[in-house]
Amino acid sequence: MTPNINVVILLFASIFTGNIVLSYFLGLCSFISISKDLKSSNGLGLAVTFVLTISVAICYVILKYILKPFDLEYLRFIVFIIVIAAVVQILEMLIERMSSALYISLGIFLPLITVNCAILGVVLFMEIRKYDFLQTLFFSIGSGIGWWIAILALAAIRRKIENAPVPAGLKDAGITLIIIGLMAMAFMGFSGMLSVQ
Amino acid sequence: MKISPLFKKAYDNMRPGRITMEGFLGDDERTLTDIISEDEKEVKFLKMDFEIISSKLKYFLNEGLKGLGEPLTVDKKWLVRVDEARGRLPCPFEDKIVNKKTVYVKNVEKNLDFFYSDLSIHLIEAHHFFEGKGSTFRLEPSLIKQILEI
Amino acid sequence: MEYKFLFDSLVIAGISTILALLIIIVDSIVNNYGEVTISINDNKKVIKAKGGSSLLTTLSAERIFIPSACGGRGTCGACKVIVTTDIGPVYPTEKPFMDKSELETNTRLSCQIKVKQDVSIKIPEELFLIKKIKARVEKITDLTHDIKEIIFKFNEGVDFSFKAGQYVQLEIPPYEKIKDFTQRAYSISSAPKIKDKIELLIRLVPGGILTTYVFKFMKEEMEFDIIGPMGDFIVRENNSVMICGAGGSGMAPIKSIIEDMIDNNIKDREIWYFFGARSASDQFYIEKFRSYEKILPNFHYVPMISESESGDRWKGEKGMITTVMDKFLKTKIDKNAPREGYLCGSPGMIDACVKIMKDNGIKEENIYYDKF
Repeated sequence: MTPNINVVILLFASIFTGNIVLSYFLGLCSFISISKDLKSSNGLGLAVTFVLTISVAICYVILKYILKPFDLEYLRFIVFIIVIAAVVQILEMLIERMSSALYISLGIFLPLITVNCAILGVVLFMEIRKYDFLQTLFFSIGSGIGWWIAILALAAIRRKIENAPVPAGLKDAGITLIIIGLMAMAFMGFSGMLSVQ
Repeated sequence: MKISPLFKKAYDNMRPGRITMEGFLGDDERTLTDIISEDEKEVKFLKMDFEIISSKLKYFLNEGLKGLGEPLTVDKKWLVRVDEARGRLPCPFEDKIVNKKTVYVKNVEKNLDFFYSDLSIHLIEAHHFFEGKGSTFRLEPSLIKQILEI
Repeated sequence: MEYKFLFDSLVIAGISTILALLIIIVDSIVNNYGEVTISINDNKKVIKAKGGSSLLTTLSAERIFIPSACGGRGTCGACKVIVTTDIGPVYPTEKPFMDKSELETNTRLSCQIKVKQDVSIKIPEELFLIKKIKARVEKITDLTHDIKEIIFKFNEGVDFSFKAGQYVQLEIPPYEKIKDFTQRAYSISSAPKIKDKIELLIRLVPGGILTTYVFKFMKEEMEFDIIGPMGDFIVRENNSVMICGAGGSGMAPIKSIIEDMIDNNIKDREIWYFFGARSASDQFYIEKFRSYEKILPNFHYVPMISESESGDRWKGEKGMITTVMDKFLKTKIDKNAPREGYLCGSPGMIDACVKIMKDNGIKEENIYYDKF
C-alpha cells in the first residue's frame, strides 16, 4: 500500500524530521572527513544529492518494472549497488570535465559515494515504505538536500571550532562526533511535526 | 577492523608508482597497523626508543652533509656519505614534504652498512614506520642498533 | 521453472550491460576533448593533438621534450612551462614547486595539467632541439669503486650535436620491483666534437633506481633511449678566469668543457679546476688532466683528498674543496682579474663553494652551476 502523504510534506519531512544523517546516522564516513572544508562540503553535498536523486529514480523503475514482475526481488541489493556505482561513475566523469578543482578536492570521496550508506539507505527506505514514483522522487531529493544542509552546517561549525581550545584527545574526529550528536539532538526537535511515512 | 582513513590513504600512497616507483611496502603483506606495531615491539625489546633512533639518524645526516657529497669519516668509526637528488618527496601520511637526501652509513669496524633517506627519519620519528619488509629503504631495528651502536 | 536461475542471471546481465553502455556513451561524450591546438612561443610552432592527456605526454608524443627528472610523477618539479591561456587554478600537487614569481607568471608543471582546450604555452627555444634517440652501450669502465664511465654509441648517421656542459636523460626499462620506465638526467662528459658517441659518468647512489640498474644490470651492447641535449650550464665566452669546482660524478660537464676548449684551440684562457674526493682511491682521470695541462698552458688541475688513509702516497692538496679553493683564491689566483665560477656537484657542495667564491669577491651572477 502506498502511504498517503503529500509530496511537499514528504520533501520537508525528509529534510528535517527524518534527516538521513542526523536521524538515521547514514553516510557518516564522508560526512565527518569532508566537512573539514566548507567548499568541498558544498561540492560533495551537491554530488550526493545528484547521485541520490538519479539512482533512486532508476532503482524505482527497475524494481517496479523489471524485478517485481519477474519475481527477482531477491537480487535487488546487487542491482541497486550496480545502479549506484554506474551513476557515480558518470558523475565522476562529469565533475572532472567541469571542475577540476572540485574533482581534486573531493579526491577519493567522489568514487566512495558508491559505498555511501545514505544512498543505499534511501533506496531501501523507498522500497520498505512502498512510496510511489512521485513520492520517491521528492523523498530522495529531500534526503539529498538534508544531507547537504547537514554537512554544510557541520563544516561551518567546524570552521568556528578550529580556533577553540579543544582538549588534545578530542581534537578532530572526537569533537566532530560530539558536534554531530548535538546537531542530532537539535534536529530531534523537529520530530513529530511532520512524518515520513 | 575498520582502518582509519589516514592509514588507508597512507597505505594507498605507499603502493608502487604513487610516491616512489617502488613503493614503501616491499613484499610485506601485513597491514600498516601490524607492520608498525610489530616494529614498535621490536624496538622496545631491543631497549631503544624512537627518539634516540631518529636523533641518531639526524646526527649522521647532518654530519654527512659536511662531506659536500663525498664520503666522510664521522667519530672515527663510521663512514658517511649523503647524496642529494633533485626534487622533493611527500610523506605518504601527507604531513611533510622533504628533500630527497640519501644517507649511507658504514660502520668501518664491524664492516656493516645501511642507507636511509631523510624521509625515513620522518617516517620513524613521526609514524614509527620502518617500511615494509623487502622494501629497498626498509630499516631493520636490529641492524640500526648494531651499526649505530645505540 | 528449472530455467529460472538462467533467466534471472540474464536479466541482471542485461541491466548491467545497459548501465555499462550508458557509461561508455557518457565517457565518449564527456572525455572527448576533440582535437586541441597547442601554440608554442607565440605561434612559433603550432601542434594539433588529441586532448585529454597531460601536457608533458602530449608534447613528447609530438617530439617536444620538456626536461623531467621524475618522468611525469610530479615529484621533481623540473617540467615547468608558462601557460598563457587560463586553464584554471594551480593544483595542490604543483604548489610545493612554485615560488611567488612563478605563480604570478602562471608557470605550471606540464606533467600535472591536462590538455582539455586550446592552450598557448611558452618554453625555452632550445627545447625544440631536444630529440629522443637509441644508443648502444659501447664500453663500461670502472673509474672508482662507485663511479662508472659509460660510452654510448648512436646508430650510423645520427648527428648528436650539443654544447659542452649540457646533460641528457637516460631511460631504463622496468626491472625487479620497478614496474615502469625510469628516466634520470646525467651530464655528458665527452667533448661535443665527437658526434656519434657520448660518455656519461654514473655514480652509485644507495637505493637509487637508475644507478642500481646501471651497476647491477647494464651490460655492453645493450640499447637504451637517450633524450637530450638539455641544460644551460655552458661556458660564457669571454676572457675571465674560470674557476671550476666539482666532486664525484660532477666531473662530467667540466671534463666536457675542458676537452671542448682543447678541440677549439682556446689556449689563452686561465682555468683552475678543483676536484674533490675523499681518498686517493676515489680520485680518477689525474693523468688525463695532467696531459691537458701540457696542451693548455694556463690550465691548472687541482685534485684533492679530504681524508688520508694509511698507505696512500698522496702528494697533492689535502682538505675539503672549500678550504683548498679558498686558499688558492686568496694566494694563487689574481684577485683583480675578472673571474667566473663553474660548479657541478651536490646542492650542499655548490652552496658551500658559492659562499667561498662570494667571500673572495666573485659576483654571484658570474657563478654558474649544475646542481644534481
